[in-house]
Amino acid sequence: MPIPINTGVVGKEYPPWPVTVERGRIKDFARALGDLNPFYLDDQVGAASEWGDIIAPPTFAASFRDERADSGALLRDLGVDISRVLHGEQEFESHRPLRPGETYLCRTKVLDIYEKTGRSGPMAFVVRETAITDRAGEVVATMRHVTVVRL
Amino acid sequence: MKYGRVYFEDVKVGDELPPLVKGPIQQIQLTRYAGASGDFNPIHQDDEFAKAAGMGGVFAHGMLSMGFVAQALTDWAGAGTVRKLGVRFAALVRLGDVVTCRGRVLARSSRADTHLVDLEVWAENQRGEKVVAGKATLALPSRV
Repeated sequence: MPIPINTGVVGKEYPPWPVTVERGRIKDFARALGDLNPFYLDDQVGAASEWGDIIAPPTFAASFRDERADSGALLRDLGVDISRVLHGEQEFESHRPLRPGETYLCRTKVLDIYEKTGRSGPMAFVVRETAITDRAGEVVATMRHVTVVRL
Repeated sequence: MKYGRVYFEDVKVGDELPPLVKGPIQQIQLTRYAGASGDFNPIHQDDEFAKAAGMGGVFAHGMLSMGFVAQALTDWAGAGTVRKLGVRFAALVRLGDVVTCRGRVLARSSRADTHLVDLEVWAENQRGEKVVAGKATLALPSRV
């Protein structure tokens, strides 16, 4: 018996949240991947680079979370338990690298929910997009995130 | 060769990325990635939880493999070159798996001062099964 999913969440925009990128978080993220690129880890290499500082690796924005919000908000809105979700797809579009000390504003919206039946049974695909802007309001990066819910 | 810099003029359609081999995947790396990314889903940490969820045991964050693919791109072309990276997570990565990231140049184009290279990218496990598959766009410097 498949569980229901609340498709009424489509179109919902979550309150914008700010993220200030900490230097140490960039380095921890790169080391956790085993990516020891000096442009992420070495302050001197960063200072001498075209960016004037270290930069974040391409997938770093996946670590952005709204620290004021309950991390389970989306799952609660969908009405599903964390044990049922898988990461289906992810996309990043970057206009320039994310940098330490910068404060960005993130806005997440649920774009779509569609259902399909796969080999392992019925599934729902929840498509979210997060726009990341700088202090001037310019879009620096966009993330698209597809969560798969095993129904 | 590591941490290279590639110029747009030196790239041809059909060129392959130098493969990047990561792993074998250990639990400590998943724990470390959870801490660094803030993704503390117990399905990547707690074998009992993962089994109860019907997943047959712990598996790696998809974003870990995507990070490996990003590294394969930047090891080759340089940090800060990735304009777009989009992937589908095709199969689970388990503890002990070795993940090899690969890519191939599909197209190249120039508009004004921007020189773009499109690639298909993927990662496969030690049995040659694709675990991640997608596309990337890099912006490369020009020699002229």
